[in-house]
Amino acid sequence: MTSAAEARKHDKDQVVSTPARTSRRTLTGYLALPVILAAVCLAMYLWISSLELDSIEARSLNASSLAIATWEHVQLTAVSTVITLLIAVPAGIILTRPFTGRVRPYLLTLLNLGQAVPTIAILVLLAVAWLFLGFQAAIVGLVLYAIVPVLLNTMVGLEQVDDSILEAARGMGYSKMGALRKIELPLSVPIILAGVRTALIINVGTATLAAYINAGGLGEIIVAGLSTNRVTVQIVGAALTAVLALLIDYIAGLAEDMLRPEGL
Amino acid sequence: MTSPTNATSHDGRVMIRLEELTKKFPGQKQNAVDSLTLDIPEGDIVVLVGPSGCGKTTTMKMMNRIIEPSSGRIILDGEDVTSSDPDQLRRRIGYVIQQIGLFPHQSIGENVGTVPKLLGWDSKRISTRVDELLEMVNMEPSQFRNRYPKQLSGGQKQRVGVARALGADPDVMLMDEPFGAIDPITRDRLQNEFLRLQSEVRKTIVFVTHDIDEAIKMGDRIAILQDGSHIAQYDTPEQILTAPANDFVADFIGKGASLKRLNLSRVADIGLKQLPTVQLGTDREGVMAALRQTELSAVLVLDGEGRPLRWVGAEDLQRGGGRPLDELGLAPEAAVEARATLSDALNELITARYSITIVVDSRGVYQGVVDIDQINDAIRTMRSTAVAKARESLTDDSMAEQGRLP
Ligand SMILES: Nc1ncnc2c1ncn2[C@@H]1O[C@H](COP(=O)(O)OP(=O)(O)OP(=O)(O)O)[C@@H](O)[C@H]1O
Ligand SMILES: [Mg+2]
Repeated sequence: MTSAAEARKHDKDQVVSTPARTSRRTLTGYLALPVILAAVCLAMYLWISSLELDSIEARSLNASSLAIATWEHVQLTAVSTVITLLIAVPAGIILTRPFTGRVRPYLLTLLNLGQAVPTIAILVLLAVAWLFLGFQAAIVGLVLYAIVPVLLNTMVGLEQVDDSILEAARGMGYSKMGALRKIELPLSVPIILAGVRTALIINVGTATLAAYINAGGLGEIIVAGLSTNRVTVQIVGAALTAVLALLIDYIAGLAEDMLRPEGL
Repeated sequence: MTSPTNATSHDGRVMIRLEELTKKFPGQKQNAVDSLTLDIPEGDIVVLVGPSGCGKTTTMKMMNRIIEPSSGRIILDGEDVTSSDPDQLRRRIGYVIQQIGLFPHQSIGENVGTVPKLLGWDSKRISTRVDELLEMVNMEPSQFRNRYPKQLSGGQKQRVGVARALGADPDVMLMDEPFGAIDPITRDRLQNEFLRLQSEVRKTIVFVTHDIDEAIKMGDRIAILQDGSHIAQYDTPEQILTAPANDFVADFIGKGASLKRLNLSRVADIGLKQLPTVQLGTDREGVMAALRQTELSAVLVLDGEGRPLRWVGAEDLQRGGGRPLDELGLAPEAAVEARATLSDALNELITARYSITIVVDSRGVYQGVVDIDQINDAIRTMRSTAVAKARESLTDDSMAEQGRLP
């Protein structure tokens, strides 16, 4: 084994990646979650409608402000995830090519350390150090945090491709780029997608913190509930976040099932 | 090193010529392949065989530049390819590895069509070619084309691996222990199928194995390699078995060289013996007549297609009353094809009823039988011709250059 290959094997030990889903679900499995989530939302709606809301509660708990907060939350999650992918997948590819073998172990250690720093710290740092607030600042914080799982999964996904498959591909006359596109990437799709899903879940949860730097989202409802000491508002904010997180996870699961190449 | 080269003359051209090919891996003291010079004649199967770590795989992988040589030259069909575009080079050379390496996310059809697609064939031509290749390796296209590799058995995967390597009809195939990871019975069948295929396609094949028996069975010529891919002997299987060039070769062949020679002759090479047979549906009288003629205590009943069905003896006829012939007697043991070696035939013979081996063609149609006397004769003939050849080669060897064809 070459030293580069050894280094790669070694990397795998410290990388904790999200495993890929192994099997497709049954039809009932597909239907269960949306039905449950719809039931939860309906129950919440009926409960709120039955309450006498004071003016402070009414300011947060009305259809339009809830819709705006939810939409902002979805935007935060979606934009940060897309940017994460655009950075992390190519970076993962580059970091599995032989020419980056030397820097790889150091970079991975750094990334693992970086992930230990909480997002809130990043957000506060951005806000305090550069007075960087709002949507864009939130995106920077979210992306910085979600890059690691996607990057690690991309690397693990590419590295788990059997050497013999790659050798056969090159031996048959695939160019390096061709083998990457037609063989390596398709074969790593399940693991990369598992990383994307992790990133989404991290982002949808962490996006609640964006409220602290004025970037909107469902976090705003929760914060409003906390600062005005209205438990109902807090509960609705938290419950909506949970429903959204579960829904996004569900959709990501669907995507994983559909995008996984046949034959795997 | 003195090493007798082939005494039998080869009129074929040289397809691959290796000139002082050397590979030194970084951080290693010794060369993995050390100044190897070797000619591989067109249309032959040349087997590289030797102990583990002697450099067989490295040698082979330098031929399609999966491993880049440290020095030396590779000449393919008269053209120096040592520094040509490796991707283009590899599309001209079929490649089969032990782990097979089918692409799990592609259907069998897509796998087999890999090289044609890389060469930019149109899709209609590719699909015709894919079906043709699948048929060539005995896999029904309609049944297997759309399956995925995980839905195949090990032997079927290996066949697909061979079909894929034949994709764009390359002149040269490189095969690294292609039948290594397969159970002995399937391996034997695949080897025979492969030899049949080779008799049709006549490729130049470099075949790596560490199993001397496989080398003897598959090789037109065998290069026995020592550490650093030094050639200990490069010759026909007959000559290697009869006249090992040195102690290393003798040790490597091991004991039982004469038994191994049975691997050199095929059932097709010796005259088959014909015994009386009867068609299914023959009446009692007919069967009795055949029984009187045969030297065995039973006759072979063939079905409408001529395939062996039952052994039926006089007693069976008696006891069976008026029942049809295919309900009487005993089922015949496995038959061998004409491609099988005498060693295969002998194996069957030892366990078979009536001490004979039934020989059939590729569709299972009865061709004749082999018995122990025929095998004995074959051994005797082989020994005398081999000894004669060895005597001859002693005289003109001193002039032949190592690893070169005369
Ligand atoms: N990528 C590599 N890096 C360093 N050394 C290598 C590499 N590949 C092979 N070698 C060394 O080169 C020598 C020849 O190896 P090679 O794989 O060609 O042997 P082989 O004859 O095919 O053996 P086997 O029968 O076990 O497959 C061995 O000593 C091996 O350790
Ligand atoms: Mg090897």
